[in-house]
Amino acid sequence: VTTFEAELLTLLPKLRRFARALTRDPADADDVCQTAIERALNARASWQDGTRLDAWMYRIVRNCWIDETRSRGRAAARFAPEHAGLDVPGDGPMQVESAVTGRDIDRATAVEGLAYRDAAEILEVPMGTLTSRLGRGRQALMAMLEPGQ
Amino acid sequence: MIEPQTISAYVDGELDAAAVDAVEGAMASDGTVGAAVERERSLRARLSACFDPVAEEPVPERLRALLEPASNVVSLLEARERRAARWGWPQGMAIAASLAIGLVLGQTAFSGGATGIATRDGIAIASGEIESALETQLASTQPSDASVRIGVSFRDGEGAACRSFTTASAAGLACKSGEDWRIAALQQAGGAPRGDYRQAGSGEAAILAQAQAMMAGEPLDAAAERSARDKGWPLKR
Repeated sequence: VTTFEAELLTLLPKLRRFARALTRDPADADDVCQTAIERALNARASWQDGTRLDAWMYRIVRNCWIDETRSRGRAAARFAPEHAGLDVPGDGPMQVESAVTGRDIDRATAVEGLAYRDAAEILEVPMGTLTSRLGRGRQALMAMLEPGQ
Repeated sequence: MIEPQTISAYVDGELDAAAVDAVEGAMASDGTVGAAVERERSLRARLSACFDPVAEEPVPERLRALLEPASNVVSLLEARERRAARWGWPQGMAIAASLAIGLVLGQTAFSGGATGIATRDGIAIASGEIESALETQLASTQPSDASVRIGVSFRDGEGAACRSFTTASAAGLACKSGEDWRIAALQQAGGAPRGDYRQAGSGEAAILAQAQAMMAGEPLDAAAERSARDKGWPLKR
């Protein structure tokens, strides 16, 4: 086994968690992981040794998911149909939230627990953009999770 | 007044020491700041509870298989196996075989030599001379001028009997599947001209490498080859 594959192997649990938060669906998450691994193996020449493999892989997972949602059409991309495990009220006012906020929520949950700098690198946005999107996503999430407030 | 983004950054541990002091000072004097910090913390805890367990789950085999070789030894053969595994065995080999067959047939490589590749339901199978050699000929007793020569016989990972063969113009690998010998790989033989004397060329070498990649255990010896032949090449676990 090359170091590259061995490192990818140890990253798999984290990648699956990232993909699950991004897609909110266990089957979608593993499918997107599989596509991303295949893409990474084919593109390994473009990974620069010494840079962070996890950030590079997260980006690939995210790009695969963007491609997937695009191919499913914009309606599906707008909002994950079910927020599995999140106990989101079924027909609360936030269900008609705009597509922009929906994507912000996806981003916020996916990069949860990562340092801002890493998250900005993965989402390919400047730090300032990251923190404002993260803030919007979290505010929307909190409103969904605590409808009383 | 503390900005919501600053509270977020505080909970995320992204503030420098001075800014942390400012937030904590505000928390001490302003209950709403403390409540905002608490909301942020509980959101993170909730998200962690949702998604962190995913990282504790066993990774599905289909994902591991993309990255894990069959054993820990590094070799070219394993790299080949893994590439085949990515397609899913035996589809990978079938695709490779049909490409190779297309090339070989396209160049009428069989025109002067042994005939014997057919297709059934889109799958390439041995027929004619190649089929009968695969079914009956023993490597240990075959005549030196046989038009189809049998090379190595072995079992693949599924327990199917597989045999390599060479003709004047091609080298191949076939595995018994039901009544058929399915062609798992086919190469034009080495580029060497047809003749009495022929060195193993790159075609045969590639077939042998593929045979080794597919092989489970050791090749069949003369006695095992004979015994399997006499029983009609049954599946064996």
